[in-house]
Amino acid sequence: MAQIFPRWTTRLPLFAAVVVVAVIVGGVGFFWYYGSPEYTHVGYRPTQPVAYSHKLHAGDLGIDCRYCHTSVESSATAVVPPTQTCMNCHTLILSESEKLLPVRESWATGMPIEWVRVNKVADYAFFDHSAHVTKGIGCVTCHGNVAQMEKVMQVEPLSMGWCLDCHRNPDPHLRPLDKITDMKWQPGSEHAEFVERVKKEWKIDPPVDCSGCHR
Amino acid sequence: MSEQKSNNRGTGKDYWRSLDQLAQSERYKEFLQREFPEGASEHSNAWSRRNFLGIMGASLALAGLTGCRQPEEKIVPYVRPPEEVIPGIPQQYATAMPFGLDALGLVVESHVGRPTKIEGNAHHPSTLGAASVFMQAELLTMYDPDRSKLVLNNGRESTWDSFVAYWRERADIHKADRGKGLAVLTSPFASPTLFRLKNEFLRAYRDATWVSWEPISEEPVVEGMRLLTGEPLMPVYRLEKAEVIAAFDCDFVFSEPGSIVNARRFMDGRRVAVDFDPMNRLYVAEAAFTPTGAVADHRLALQAGRIPALLLGLAEALLNLGADPGVFQRQRPPQLTEHERAWCLELAKDLLIRRGKSVVMAGRKQPAHVHAIAMAINAALGGVGQTVSLKLLTDASLPDTQAFASLINDMKGGRVQTLITIGLNPAYNTPGSLDFGGGLERVEHRIHMGLYADETAAKSTWHLPQAHFLESWSDARAADGTITFMQPLIAPLYGGHSDVELYSLLVTGRDRAGYDIVRETWQDRFPRGLFESKWQQTLHDGLVEGSATPDENADLGALRLVRYLEQHPVSAPAADEIELVLTPSMATYDGRYANNGWLQECPDPVTKLAWDNAACLSPAMARRLGVKNEDVVSLRIGGKSVDMPVWIVPGQADHTVVTSLGYGRTAAGRVGNGVGFDTYPLRSHLEPYVRRGVTLAPAGGSYPLANTQDHGSMEGRPLVREMAVGDYRKHPGAIAEMEEHPPLKSLWEEHSYDTGYQWGMSIDLNACIGCNACTIACQAENNIPLVGKEQTRKGREMHWIRVDRYFNGDVDQPEMVHQPVPCQHCENAPCEQVCPVAATVHDKEGLNLMVYNRCIGTRYCSNNCPYKVRRFNFFNYTRDYAETIKMAQNPDVTVRSRGVMEKCTYCLQRINEARQVAKKDGNREIRDGEILTACQQACPTRAIVFGNINDPDSEVSTARARNRTYYLLGYLNVKPRTSYMAKLRNPMESMLNVEKTYGKQGGDR
Repeated sequence: MAQIFPRWTTRLPLFAAVVVVAVIVGGVGFFWYYGSPEYTHVGYRPTQPVAYSHKLHAGDLGIDCRYCHTSVESSATAVVPPTQTCMNCHTLILSESEKLLPVRESWATGMPIEWVRVNKVADYAFFDHSAHVTKGIGCVTCHGNVAQMEKVMQVEPLSMGWCLDCHRNPDPHLRPLDKITDMKWQPGSEHAEFVERVKKEWKIDPPVDCSGCHR
Repeated sequence: MSEQKSNNRGTGKDYWRSLDQLAQSERYKEFLQREFPEGASEHSNAWSRRNFLGIMGASLALAGLTGCRQPEEKIVPYVRPPEEVIPGIPQQYATAMPFGLDALGLVVESHVGRPTKIEGNAHHPSTLGAASVFMQAELLTMYDPDRSKLVLNNGRESTWDSFVAYWRERADIHKADRGKGLAVLTSPFASPTLFRLKNEFLRAYRDATWVSWEPISEEPVVEGMRLLTGEPLMPVYRLEKAEVIAAFDCDFVFSEPGSIVNARRFMDGRRVAVDFDPMNRLYVAEAAFTPTGAVADHRLALQAGRIPALLLGLAEALLNLGADPGVFQRQRPPQLTEHERAWCLELAKDLLIRRGKSVVMAGRKQPAHVHAIAMAINAALGGVGQTVSLKLLTDASLPDTQAFASLINDMKGGRVQTLITIGLNPAYNTPGSLDFGGGLERVEHRIHMGLYADETAAKSTWHLPQAHFLESWSDARAADGTITFMQPLIAPLYGGHSDVELYSLLVTGRDRAGYDIVRETWQDRFPRGLFESKWQQTLHDGLVEGSATPDENADLGALRLVRYLEQHPVSAPAADEIELVLTPSMATYDGRYANNGWLQECPDPVTKLAWDNAACLSPAMARRLGVKNEDVVSLRIGGKSVDMPVWIVPGQADHTVVTSLGYGRTAAGRVGNGVGFDTYPLRSHLEPYVRRGVTLAPAGGSYPLANTQDHGSMEGRPLVREMAVGDYRKHPGAIAEMEEHPPLKSLWEEHSYDTGYQWGMSIDLNACIGCNACTIACQAENNIPLVGKEQTRKGREMHWIRVDRYFNGDVDQPEMVHQPVPCQHCENAPCEQVCPVAATVHDKEGLNLMVYNRCIGTRYCSNNCPYKVRRFNFFNYTRDYAETIKMAQNPDVTVRSRGVMEKCTYCLQRINEARQVAKKDGNREIRDGEILTACQQACPTRAIVFGNINDPDSEVSTARARNRTYYLLGYLNVKPRTSYMAKLRNPMESMLNVEKTYGKQGGDR
């Protein structure tokens, strides 16, 4: 009797097994990378209603972060500044500028400017700016060097794993409180002693339990 | 009890939660054995599970197409930031809630302009920092999307300005004939500004009528004092000084005016913090079983109609013992039974021994002369000025039912052309004996102002939306006269105007802002030159320090009362005459909160019914009638009848039907319409609360009621422990010994939990009154959703802290105890061991955490929880919230979605907030008492203590070290962090003998 299946089909189960494993590994790998905040979130750089340049203001002009983000040391939210903060200067400087038209409109009509959120932690996580910046974590650690950004971009994944990396080992990220907004500060040779001192002094013991952020 | 486990010696008393349990009915057994009742996990609505899954699959596929990036989110900052508002840091403002002739001082939390939580003002004499269910639920009322939003003229949309123009026209006409035919109907108030405007109104329109009335008010109390002294006085109790208290139909810890303060002061006298602390003694005679009856040391169940006779019996007993209350001349008290006489005699002796430290209280369901007799007795006992003081009501427009009745008469006679009704809904809540609707038809110009376009608005020519008290400027006086300010937390959400603004418009014809009107009042009253600083200080504090009215040295000679009693002799109802007792609802009050879901879903402290009212009967009466729970009966009195379901309440007086007012609304809103049964038609303005001669007949059929009574029953284990204080002092170890078990050994290596903060809670059952304030506080703080009547019936209510109610003793005359049960935060938590995804885990501070974003909804944890405190989101209850309801949510707490488990977190958000405050404040430790959980903060009696059990000096550690402390189901070795302190009662030996001989039910039996 003639063979119904050609000879190569005997290898079909093996072939199928290899394909299935490849698909599973590939699929998991695909989502592992392409589904991660590292891929989906980092690099997010939306266009804002006003072409505000952090590079110009914070970088070239050297305005401190806290001039606009006023409550970063006292509250959970750092605060996007009210229109009034813009107008403090721009009633005098570039008061006719085309680019600033939405700001003047907001000022005149009382309707707020709707900025697009760039850095966002998940709704079920409760982040507190003040808890970090008053304990030696600088702006640059999470937000990147904003002073060099024409258009603000998310630079860190802001995922739970990323948060926990630092909560488990905050040492490399700690800095003196007067360098919090300094974008260029680098730990020096005495960093280890500094860390040892401030961890005691500031009682640094970042929570790694769920209750630290989820409630 | 047959099911009592062998591993306990019992609690000293046999407890049962319901009649079903006592009878071991099928329904009860089913409830016990199943985690959730049958069908609870199936959808009852049109969507079957299968097609639901299909639709879910489809929406998942669609969701996949929209990409992985989260949706774009906007940040909307202020344009001009208001001073002192820092986003992320809530602000606290002092204000007050007007309630009858009282003002309840509040501190309201506000997140960037949205009020989110109401607490009591610790400095205010009416709240002392605590908050009742009504106070807290007012927040939801303010945000209610069903509130009136439009000025209506004959049902058509109009504007405030057109009303102003209309009123100016009417004002000219009425001024011409000095206000003849002009009538104003308001709720009673005690407010300097409103009182000033009322007087100005009556000066401008000399012949106009001004009537204040409310369906439930302090009128009997005030009129009672007037009967005794000739002056409208308000008794203010100082129960912390009282060693013996006798309450006659007076639910002073819960539903009577001043209940928050009275409950606190009363409990201060019986905490027994240290074993030999003195403990006061409470005697209660009442018809309905109330929370006050539940905490009583001796309770006599008695028809409400016999209370006046009983009180006269007490007066006679005191007279015979040489303390003459002076209420008798020729007339003698009516015939009492031997039992009642013995009861009165023993009570009189106890009151007299503690002369000057004893007090007699009467409830507002009793007529005026009962209050007068009670105060005369207090005078004879030397209590006036000590345990009770009398305050002259100032700046008050007093409730006057007679004036209300004659106003309706005038309306019917066509003598009223213009009627202005403010903040009242008389078309719904006028007693059935008065025909308000009929009168209103004869009035040509009918103006109504209210929070809702309600039943009265529908019959009015003009309806004006009223601003909520959280949206308006006003002032008020507390019951003791303390001047209290109200300031708005938010601009009127729905464009309403305040009553102050309407009063002012009525007087002056000018449309002015409430702020200016209230300031004008105080320009004259605050010392000249100091106005601005006084004003600011009062706004900050919420009250004027030391502004309480001085005690009145009234003439308590009782001669007026004696004459009155001669003309109106007190009689007791015939033995088998059935009486009807109408009470304010604990959920809707007089109907005003009908559209408030928090309150509707909050189970009644005694019946544990939610979402309905029922005709409550004693077990004996139900037996005689041959009816059972949920059977519909027809109540008939005075030519009116109402059909409603029966609920059997053990311990209620026999021959009495108790039901609550405030249900059966037709124009309340989407929550309140058609909930329960309207009982106002059964009411008479002459006998507003207690009526004799009601007939009761089974009407056939049954009506499903939602009760939370059997949910999570604990099968007779020693959960509530209780002792007589005398026995306890002799043997303080007895509480712990009520449970016996072999040495406890854990299967696991246990964590030591001995460093840092270790959170724990202690609940004192001796102080708990079962008032549900904790439940609603928790609901408001933690964004707990509502589930509705159907879901509640299935045992799916979401409250994180429930108040269990147990009975013990004979079914006709039991005692009642309450026990709040939140998550116990077990150190060996059984829920954690069964969660397949580690969604519930412990943190190093001993908290049992619930991680919503990990939960996949297996419900294993709930199945394995011995306390049944875990709550599951069967549906996406929060999805359809109106925008305004979303504004009421606490931004510091996650809003949960369908399919996740949730439970008490010990207010984790408050712990973390305190931690941040302490860290920023120089890295100090969190102080003891710095964290108040929501339930703890609201509790009127301070029954709940929370703190660090690792600190031996903290309040909670001290509580846990006491002899009364025990752990719920301690023998399971789950090591709960929540501990309980056993309840104590302070019975008197001779009264126990009376009870042994005659029982605890009064009347002829």
